[in-house]
Amino acid sequence: MNDPRKNSDSEPTTHFGFQNVPESQKAEKVAEVFHSVAAKYDLMNDVLSGGMHRLWKRFTIELSGVRTGNRVLDIAGGTGDLTRKFSALVGPAGEVVLADINESMLRVGRDRLLDKGVAGNVSFVQADAEKLPFPDNHFDVVTIAFGLRNVTHKEDAIRSMLRVLKPGGRLLVLEFSKPSSPLLSKFYDAYSFKFMPLAGKLITNDAESYRYLAESIRMHPDQDSLKAMMIEAGFERVTYHNMTGGIVALHRGIKP
Amino acid sequence: MLLAGLFAGVELGLNRVLAMDSTALPRLARLSGRVIAVECVAPPLQLFILPSASGLQLAAQWTGEPDCRLRAPASSLLRLATSTDKTRILHSPEVSLEGDSAALLELAGILQDLELDWEYELARWLGPVGSQLLGSHLRSRVNWSGQALGSLRLNLADYLSEESRSLVGQREADARFAELDRLKLALDRLDARIERLAQRPKPIV
Repeated sequence: MNDPRKNSDSEPTTHFGFQNVPESQKAEKVAEVFHSVAAKYDLMNDVLSGGMHRLWKRFTIELSGVRTGNRVLDIAGGTGDLTRKFSALVGPAGEVVLADINESMLRVGRDRLLDKGVAGNVSFVQADAEKLPFPDNHFDVVTIAFGLRNVTHKEDAIRSMLRVLKPGGRLLVLEFSKPSSPLLSKFYDAYSFKFMPLAGKLITNDAESYRYLAESIRMHPDQDSLKAMMIEAGFERVTYHNMTGGIVALHRGIKP
Repeated sequence: MLLAGLFAGVELGLNRVLAMDSTALPRLARLSGRVIAVECVAPPLQLFILPSASGLQLAAQWTGEPDCRLRAPASSLLRLATSTDKTRILHSPEVSLEGDSAALLELAGILQDLELDWEYELARWLGPVGSQLLGSHLRSRVNWSGQALGSLRLNLADYLSEESRSLVGQREADARFAELDRLKLALDRLDARIERLAQRPKPIV
């Protein structure tokens, strides 16, 4: 029987949106997408979500339980929305690390945070979520917001996050998911495949990146599958909260 | 999500106002890391306040224990927000306070001491001359309104107590209350004397 994850050269393949690409190429293709959208990333987030992404991130911060002196890792931190809030919460005694695999996103995030006067307890690291360059049991909280679906080996990334968390530490995964209502799902499909590429074309002159965004959301594991992946990786007390009818879900797990 | 959106809007407005006071943010920085929970009993609603050097963060929920929890009905919370004598309201029976009350009182103090430099904010939009003209005009209007209101209050009180005799005047009321107090005291004394006489052993015949 043919393994669907193998191509003719027998290199394992993975999905890049609805396409199947060799695993070695996915990171490069995702990087191209984010290099292209980095400059107008925040604007596009506001346009496409109608500002809802701010509320989803607020909820993530509320559930993080971050306190003064905590050490927080914000993976795929992009333009630093979560990092800015965490920086205020951990105070001068704490530390926030904004990590992103994409240099353009990291640069935009760093400049934006410095412009807003966020400095002192924040550091910026270009890192692959699958191979986090941090010691074991190092962080109190790890977050990854709208980043996990772009990772080639999600299981490896979740295990890596588990490793760097202190026992009792919390992982929060904020990601697009599956709408709970079939009616909403139909509307959401039309919105994603018609409006999102059009908005991408009009604002960033790049419809393809936003077509990939819509496709990658469909290929991402649903709420229960992601929960199972986190449990499988070793997290305990894994729960998820649906937001906006399940369009976005926040998963939370505790390192035993 | 609706509540989160509401809190986000309030937070944005509140932090803009706080930024207009030169001392509020440094004072809030000293409360950084504290979590104050305000629980409205009726209607049931919970709000977590997280002060920091950049202002206040409002949250509908918070993982972990707050440093201070204030529980009260909406009417008491409203009185607490508007009253200058907050200690009296905090000691009322329907209000419960757990944890570090100093953080809450400090926060209330900061909000009460706000002196907003709204002319600076106005100058950013109208320029220094426009803001000065508008500012002095508004100030004189506010002063005039304050004086007019004060005068109206005094005239109304005079009319009600002295002319129409609908209400008793403050001094008259005080004198009457003092008389009542004296009468109550005399009655208490008489009561005590009768009690003592009743308990005196009867003479043996």
